[in-house]
Amino acid sequence: MSAMNMSRRQFLKTTGILGGGLVIGFSMTGCSSSELPIVLAPQGFVPNAFLQIMPDNGIRFYCPRDEMGQGVTTGLSTLIGEELDVHPKDMVILFAGVHSDYNNPDFGVQGTGGSSSLKAHYLQLRQVGANTRGLLVAAAAQDLGVPASAISTRDGHIVVAGQQYPYGQFVQTAAGLEAPTAAPMKSNNEFRYIGQEFARVDAAAKSTGTAEFGIDIDIPNMHHAVVRRSPVAGAKLKSVDKSAALNMPGVTDVIEISSGVAVVAEKYWQAKTAAAKLAPVWEEVALSKINSSDVRADYNQAMQQDDGVVDTDEGDVQAGLAAADHIVEAEYWAPFLAHAPLEPMNAVVRIENGEADVWSGTQGIVAAQGLVSRFSGIPVENVRAHNTYLGGAFGRRGTLTHVIEATEVAVASNKPIHLLWSREDDIQNGVYRPASLMKIKAGVKNDGRITAWQAKRVGGNITPKTLQNMMPALFPGLNDGTIDFMVGLSQDIFAGWMVDHASVEGLYEDYDTDNKTVNHVTVEHDIPLTFWRSVGHSYTSFAKEGITDELAEKAGMDPVAFRLKNTQGNPRLQNVIRVAQQHMRTMQPAEGRFLGFAAHNSFATDVAEIAEVSVVGKTIRVHKVTCIVDCGIAVNPDIVRGQMEGAVMFGLTAALYGDLELAQGAFKQSNFHDYPILKMSEAPQVEVIIIDSGTAPTGVGEPGLPPIAPAVASAVYQATGQRLRSLPLKIA
Amino acid sequence: MIEFILNGKPVSTDDDPTTPLLWVVRDTFKLKGSKFGCGAGLCGACTMHIDDEAMRTCMLPISAVAGRQVTTIEGLGTMDDMHPLQTAWVNASVPQCGYCQSGQIMAAASLLTSNPNPTEADIDAAMSGNICRCGCYVRIKSTILSVAQQNLAYNAAQEQKA
Repeated sequence: MSAMNMSRRQFLKTTGILGGGLVIGFSMTGCSSSELPIVLAPQGFVPNAFLQIMPDNGIRFYCPRDEMGQGVTTGLSTLIGEELDVHPKDMVILFAGVHSDYNNPDFGVQGTGGSSSLKAHYLQLRQVGANTRGLLVAAAAQDLGVPASAISTRDGHIVVAGQQYPYGQFVQTAAGLEAPTAAPMKSNNEFRYIGQEFARVDAAAKSTGTAEFGIDIDIPNMHHAVVRRSPVAGAKLKSVDKSAALNMPGVTDVIEISSGVAVVAEKYWQAKTAAAKLAPVWEEVALSKINSSDVRADYNQAMQQDDGVVDTDEGDVQAGLAAADHIVEAEYWAPFLAHAPLEPMNAVVRIENGEADVWSGTQGIVAAQGLVSRFSGIPVENVRAHNTYLGGAFGRRGTLTHVIEATEVAVASNKPIHLLWSREDDIQNGVYRPASLMKIKAGVKNDGRITAWQAKRVGGNITPKTLQNMMPALFPGLNDGTIDFMVGLSQDIFAGWMVDHASVEGLYEDYDTDNKTVNHVTVEHDIPLTFWRSVGHSYTSFAKEGITDELAEKAGMDPVAFRLKNTQGNPRLQNVIRVAQQHMRTMQPAEGRFLGFAAHNSFATDVAEIAEVSVVGKTIRVHKVTCIVDCGIAVNPDIVRGQMEGAVMFGLTAALYGDLELAQGAFKQSNFHDYPILKMSEAPQVEVIIIDSGTAPTGVGEPGLPPIAPAVASAVYQATGQRLRSLPLKIA
Repeated sequence: MIEFILNGKPVSTDDDPTTPLLWVVRDTFKLKGSKFGCGAGLCGACTMHIDDEAMRTCMLPISAVAGRQVTTIEGLGTMDDMHPLQTAWVNASVPQCGYCQSGQIMAAASLLTSNPNPTEADIDAAMSGNICRCGCYVRIKSTILSVAQQNLAYNAAQEQKA
């Protein structure tokens, strides 16, 4: 390991920045009260932060992670239910309020992302379930006068000699006993719920329109707010004539806020209509002059002239290139992208008698609490934060400027506020997947061994921008100057000293070679950036797999066999590729259809995908995708399949359509007509093969995405002979 | 004042006649199952039935539904009394984030009313105005097909009995 690499890893350890996700590892002391945010039912028993057991045997599970569609309510209730011996369908599942007990064990913060939830909570929630079961068994032993060894448990019941007693019968006694802290957990072959398939616990609510999303919150005297913002990120309001909106029906307030000007009305449509009457004037900023062509030109120049910062330097790349029989070198491009979750950003804020409530579907409800506190001046302990279902997130709901806006409007108008973004706001005023220019130069021997891998990425960094958004939320007491200083410091660090791992993750890790360098050049244009489903992997996989195909061709090898040869040091990925190869051999694509292949490791999960593609004229049609995944134990295999299906569709939208163009600093695209999402008629069949490796769970929400774009590009090459190195894929 | 029938009950509203039906249903009548996704008739999250026909309601002024039957997801079925599509949706774990699903189910219900035996191409044509950002299309399509087959089998059995 080189010195540079060592220092990078040490930095990751100290700051807690992990594989693509940004995490703030500082102590959260003072950010949450020690009292659990749990509403006690009459005689309800709360053995820990995650459970409340009622005398009538009702069992409530306080889910610490946010349900954005990834199935986390089902997954985590399965973990705790497995050891507690309660089926998830028999629990009432509630979203946890803010408390450090609900922190993500991987992050040290109450946040959801990085495909971390099942992995991070796998042992923790099982242990909590086992301990609670142990406590109930001890209470039952006492009440029934039998030894604990005579007691077993099943489906929410204590069982003694064939007789069943509901857990709820013992909660009073249990409340007076000490809970065990390390009760034995089941071995894998004793699992009754883990590994089984049953309907998602949220499926019924979501199929009847009764699942409550942030947008659905409705409280007494609630007023609706719509904000006009600058089309150019960071440009402040210069002036606005408020009268045009103030005179409209239902309008009660027109308020200047930090992001622009807000119109408040009794109903949403009144606020929306009135806001459209405003003609705000915005200041000019540096970004106001930038077009897409400028971004690309700046990236090109950086790629040619700047070595940037070294991320990885192993072996001797020059010697490796010299030893190669063939060298390939190519540049790959990926554009800025919006997340476009179907529920636009929204928040409800009520401030009353020195206390506040905030409702919003977020990837970190603690951040909503912090922002309301910061922008209202109300101490965090007097801010109740209520999470809801998230109408999609994909990384977008970690940035909560809509909560800031709703708080500012609620304070200024002295009304409970429901603030809603439009789809245009979402696409034009969002936070984005960074654009990336990547270059890889690699060498290969005639026998198919990769001899050298020299990679470089040019683009903006996610971490400083995310710090900028998260620090005010997580540290509401910290003043703006300190935050600006820390954000500036992180910008400088990543621009000049070390690489933001999220910028290059996935660009070089998967295949064997002793000689590797990875350099990074930071080029920012003040465009807000953040995580987007699979983060850096969403673009690095395209370059890495593309070059790998090119190397295989130079070596005269089948692309799949070539990958097998170069994954000796990566046996789990190799196994996934091997299974895919066996499967591929049985496939017989119809006339005019071609198979493309790609594989990628992300979030500790290995995925290979085979895309069956036809090209007619300039239209790329993906007919079928076969996805082979090893994510360790599949806690609910049907949800794993669903996540792979969904990630394929999400990735195909990006591969075939996703593009945002910048004109005078503003994104031109505005809604689904010019930022299209894959439709049912364009959706491929998806077959998912889960490899049962029996190890602890790894990521599921994101890893299905990275292989799809390169797999389709590979098939397009088979079909047309064109190597497409730019996203979205366009036939020349 | 505009009057119409909402989920079988006569209602009236003083909302401006140009207000889209979606916002009247959500803000005035407090039925939150129909969703706002694009405001431009492009995503289908707001789909309701107007006299049994699936329509986008985020741009449909309430003046256009005066005197007509409006059915929302709440009127199609409930947790205790689900429409067969809703039951099938649950059994197949169709929803992920779930935000588009009211619109998907309303569009599917309208399709099966007008075409009880749809081909895959019929389903594609009827459902392609309903975006699912989570990408649940594989399951939506197979679930519609299974419900159609189940309906046909049921009807055939009824006919045989008769």
